[in-house]
Amino acid sequence: MLRVTVGGDAGRGAALRALAGAVWRVLPWRALAAAGGAGAAMAAGTRLPGQQPDALIGLLVLRLAALAGGLGLAFLFDDPARHTTETVPVRRPVRAGLRLALVAPLAAGWWAAVLFLVPAAARPPAGAVTLEAAAIGAGAVALAAASVRLRSEPGPGAGAALALLALAVAALLLPSRWDLLAPPGDPDWGQAHRRWAALLCWAAVLCAACLPQPLRRRRPALRTRRPPDPDAPAPLHGT
Amino acid sequence: MTTTVTAPDAAVTPAAAPGGPRARAVLALALFEARDLLQQIVVLVFFTVYTVAVVRQMISGHLGWHELTGREGMAGYPALQDADRETQTSAVLLGVALFLCANRAALRSRRQDTDRHFGTLAMDPWRRTLGHALSVVPFALFSGLIVAVRFGWAALRPGAVGHGSVFELAVSPLTVLLCGVAGVLLARLVPSAFAAPLLAVTSYVVVLDSLVFADSHWTQWLSPVVAESGGDPLPSDLIGRPAAWHALYLTGLIALLLCAALLRSGGRTARIKAATALALAATAAGIAGQSPGPSAALQAARAQVSEHPESVERCAVRGATTYCALPEWTGRTADWAEAVERVRSLAPGAAAARPLTVRQRVEARYGLEGDPSYDPLTAPGVVTVGTRWGGNRVPEFSTGLASTLVAGDEKAGGEVCDGRVVAVMWLALGAADDPLGQLRAVRLDDSTEGGSYVLTPTSGLLMSAGQTKVVAELLHRPRAEVTARVKARWTELTRPGVSTARAAELLGVAATGLGAEGGNSCSE
Repeated sequence: MLRVTVGGDAGRGAALRALAGAVWRVLPWRALAAAGGAGAAMAAGTRLPGQQPDALIGLLVLRLAALAGGLGLAFLFDDPARHTTETVPVRRPVRAGLRLALVAPLAAGWWAAVLFLVPAAARPPAGAVTLEAAAIGAGAVALAAASVRLRSEPGPGAGAALALLALAVAALLLPSRWDLLAPPGDPDWGQAHRRWAALLCWAAVLCAACLPQPLRRRRPALRTRRPPDPDAPAPLHGT
Repeated sequence: MTTTVTAPDAAVTPAAAPGGPRARAVLALALFEARDLLQQIVVLVFFTVYTVAVVRQMISGHLGWHELTGREGMAGYPALQDADRETQTSAVLLGVALFLCANRAALRSRRQDTDRHFGTLAMDPWRRTLGHALSVVPFALFSGLIVAVRFGWAALRPGAVGHGSVFELAVSPLTVLLCGVAGVLLARLVPSAFAAPLLAVTSYVVVLDSLVFADSHWTQWLSPVVAESGGDPLPSDLIGRPAAWHALYLTGLIALLLCAALLRSGGRTARIKAATALALAATAAGIAGQSPGPSAALQAARAQVSEHPESVERCAVRGATTYCALPEWTGRTADWAEAVERVRSLAPGAAAARPLTVRQRVEARYGLEGDPSYDPLTAPGVVTVGTRWGGNRVPEFSTGLASTLVAGDEKAGGEVCDGRVVAVMWLALGAADDPLGQLRAVRLDDSTEGGSYVLTPTSGLLMSAGQTKVVAELLHRPRAEVTARVKARWTELTRPGVSTARAAELLGVAATGLGAEGGNSCSE
């Protein structure tokens, strides 16, 4: 049983420590493990015998691994008990921040492992790729936070992952003057990474803006439905 | 009291519906799910992007999205045996969206915890799965419609040549259907929300791996879309793609995935089992049929056409020029003749009447993806024309033709580096509608200043900065005045060894600042 005493820094610290264990247990481990495994497997694929990856392939693999990691992070705020925890004294930013703080070192370690799984000859500049990965991860978390804020649903992960994937496809189609996916050695490389840095900042701002719990609960979006037709057969499907 | 007894109304006993009430229920569910899919933001956005992309590709004639800005103007002259294949790549976009959203739709009841309620309904779980899979069909039909419009648009162009293949056109809707059914199957195999996005990314890597890293023909063809592009259009009998087998493979695979999803949802009826066996057989037959690479006979035919195009070509004589075209390209003779007459109109009598042969050549030995190059011909008065036409290909052909007219044969024409370059470029571009634009188009670096390489159908030629300056000056002047001067000084302008400075002087252009060697490009 989690006992939270409000009052004083010592009490808050004890509450956080107590909360940390509980939050650690409810993190979406399956999604994170699947995403992390998929990303690491992609990177490890470049070390298979018979593969001679060049810098372009190394960059592509690292970007896809980062995207896989981002898809895992999109599930970070999934909380089946969301509706029951809305009234607890520990505010939502604290709980969400705790999840972030617990996952961030793991994600950093995973990314370092992925970077080193790609052979040195095929590894693009580590700082620039890490910036891209950070922007993708922050984007995923921001999408999930926005989904929690706007729709207050227990599992925002699936929608956030879908949105992240759609944005990734959209990035492929960007016209060259806004191109994000510059190949290594491209004259646009620096400019593209300034865009990535801007994306990272925007994602962080969006995330920070969406973390607090709204004071009034939004009514779920109403779908306009036609009045039921008395002659229609009974519905065959639930929703 | 009278009672009127009427026969029971026909509506009271409903006529047996086609396929029975269960089939109707599945159909109703499929329609509902299709409508629901259409309301998904991802599907809606990808749909719009797909349609916009296809329309822009139709207009610009380019495959890739990024290349759209640099249009080369060849859309008016499509080769239909390539145009059918070009419809395939963009279908993947729609496929990805449907894979994700069909998966999400099939998991909806689990997500919202209504699975338990379905147990009380009359519909079997596998029929529900079938309804989800069928909900993708309208999207596949839409994709087929887009493909038909795009191909029809290309086929109706006056400059279109060749023949399309129905099986190549079928790949686009089949891919969309395959992706949707795969999404439903995945939902039945791994009922969790993160499986589909992760699998989409992983399968991208796998498909890329089979395309980029794999050399073997058979693994390459396991991918739903095999868009071999890059080479010049080949005659349709030299394409050698196993399109029919591939369509069979895709159809079999769709049926197989669907049957697997139905079996997984508990549809263990004899008909489904039989369909599974049939689908497995069709998939296996498709793989077996599409796996072998180009046959020896095809390679022999490709080599024959590449080395001796004259053995299959048909020739037509128009004025002093003979046009020899591959059988599918004979309709393009008139377009070539227009370009030839434009060049001849700028040359004086004797040169204008010199007999020439326009020989169409195609390099088919390296398949559909090899970027071909052509050695210049050494026979006097024979000019190469490729299988592409329109846009930049026209001034390139004109330049090759003009250099042959000046130097005698194509090989000597490619080696011209003295003052004759001025005459060659004037003949090639002087009568064009936008001569300076064409000068930019025909040069490798798209410039009208400085030295550069000029593209022709074969080896190309070099222009020095001085030659460029003189040619650009000539192209700025009134056409009639320059034409008269060129015709009057023709013999001296086309004498081997004449310097660029001398040519400029003869044509009344300031001969200062043309650089070393009198402005020639021979040592560059």
